[in-house]
Amino acid sequence: MFDLILRNVTQRKTRTGLTVFGIALGIFAIMVMGGMSEYFSRHADRGLELMSDKIYVVPESGFFGGSLEDSMVSKVRHVPGVYDAYGLLYLPYDMESLGMFGAFVVGLPPEKQELTLKNIKLTQGRLLVAGDRYMTVVGSNVARQYGLNVRDELEIKAKRLQRGSTITSSRNFTVVGVMEFTSSDFDYTIAIPLDIAKKFYDMGSSLTYIWAVPEEGVDAEDLSRRIELGVDHIKTFSPQELRKQSEQALVVINLITISAAVLAAIIGGLSVMNTMLMSVSERTREFGLMKAMGAEVRDILLLTMGESALLGVLGGIIGIAGGSIFIYYMNEYLASMGTVLFAVTYRLVAVSFIFATFLGTVSGILPAYRAAKMRPMEAMKYG
Amino acid sequence: MDEPVLRVRNLSKTYMQGKIPVHALNDVSFDAEKGEFLSIVGPSGSGKSTLLSMIGLLDKPTSGSVFIDGVEVTKAREGDFPKLRREKIGFVFQHFNLIPTLTAFENVDIAMRFAMVPKSERKKRAVELLTQMGLADRMKHKPSELSGGEQQRTAIARALSNHPAIILADEPTGEVDTKTRDMIVKLLKELSEEGHTILVVTHDTAVAQQTGRIITMRDGGIETDKRVMS
Repeated sequence: MFDLILRNVTQRKTRTGLTVFGIALGIFAIMVMGGMSEYFSRHADRGLELMSDKIYVVPESGFFGGSLEDSMVSKVRHVPGVYDAYGLLYLPYDMESLGMFGAFVVGLPPEKQELTLKNIKLTQGRLLVAGDRYMTVVGSNVARQYGLNVRDELEIKAKRLQRGSTITSSRNFTVVGVMEFTSSDFDYTIAIPLDIAKKFYDMGSSLTYIWAVPEEGVDAEDLSRRIELGVDHIKTFSPQELRKQSEQALVVINLITISAAVLAAIIGGLSVMNTMLMSVSERTREFGLMKAMGAEVRDILLLTMGESALLGVLGGIIGIAGGSIFIYYMNEYLASMGTVLFAVTYRLVAVSFIFATFLGTVSGILPAYRAAKMRPMEAMKYG
Repeated sequence: MDEPVLRVRNLSKTYMQGKIPVHALNDVSFDAEKGEFLSIVGPSGSGKSTLLSMIGLLDKPTSGSVFIDGVEVTKAREGDFPKLRREKIGFVFQHFNLIPTLTAFENVDIAMRFAMVPKSERKKRAVELLTQMGLADRMKHKPSELSGGEQQRTAIARALSNHPAIILADEPTGEVDTKTRDMIVKLLKELSEEGHTILVVTHDTAVAQQTGRIITMRDGGIETDKRVMS
């Protein structure tokens, strides 16, 4: 029967083309929106995976509302069950920006860089070492955006307020290492030694946050609560709490994706249904004839639903291909500006394909039912 | 004597035209023997096409019975109609009714597909029938590339494909010229001589005269039933 279905689809090229295009547009939308959702989800997952063994310590008033002091690091370190603790400075690279997107400078103790980066490998050079001064290890997106390789110079600007006026100072940092692409916040990192960062940004003994590493076998959730109770003016986030917060943020993105999918379903589905209803109406006599020849209801259902499913499959393939190409070039373009927004995953491709096929098949149910229920005598008189 | 291939008993059909009942068929009974070439004639509205569609299970009678090959098909469930149509009946229509997107070969093949005939057997049978119809060199042509006579011969080949007990032809020469008409009638006659039972509904007395028996219908009933001496 497949040859008959294929024959019918190819005989009506314009109509088939337009219908397939309609579905492809819907699937394209799913791919692009889903690609964004997949990226954020993977980004969050990877980020959380890299931080999964640490407890995040921030000022009591929150990440944006205050700072921590150097002295708090040793207080955290002294909480029983803490294996290690170290402070970091976190500042936007572009001081004019809000600091929510793009590259950011992380001041960290060089000897703790390996612990912070966990299993992230370098594509070039080395990690920071004790004694490094104006040196930096950059994330893959930063390297891509500024075309950086080991031994290149990266200019970093600092702004500080002095007697009511803003003073901007800049300094070149030598790239000593480039990280691999991690699909996490580390891709946007410009890591510099903590002592240099404090001096350069004139931060005194301030820190943005502290990482606390639990001893082996210690429950991170429990330790997180103990640190919060044991050290004043701080707030802690265990790996589980971080995951919860991240998942809440992802809900919004997933809602947008689902909305796009629903919209695509309506547009694509109506398009297929309209085409199939027209096709069935045009072929009323043909179906009547088939029934007169002894075709079973299932034969007619197979022919009509098979045709609509095929339209769905074709639309799905074109939509997936178009979406993947768009995402590829969009990511290339965005990467040149220091960011990446989309990810094509096997899961996304599979879901898009199944959705397109399902859409085509379901949209064909009504027309197929109408064709199959036709009485041969009435159908033969038609047209 | 063998049992008739077709037995029609007290067949009636009443349509409702709005609230007015229209009696299209009134208590029609007749038999047809195996290999008989029978024509049903009569003016428009006399019920001849209705009779054919009742025998062909294209429509349900209000009352009465139709037996084909000893099976009372009018008692069958609607779900069994496709199987009965495939096994017992072959249709030839006035408008040829070939599927426009398929070639002559495929139009014959598709009827056997519905009957689940294996591919190799289908191919052999379709080639054999189309060759018998003189269409050996036209098999790969679509209906739009065939003449009226060729289309009708393709339709006859299709009707024969599943070895039906009877062939029902509704005005098979209604849309062809006289030369083609004669050729089609000759072909049907030959088929009846080979043992196929053929019922032809026609307006054309020249066609009816070529058949072995003429049933004349009027107002939904049989007016006359005559054997023709050839």
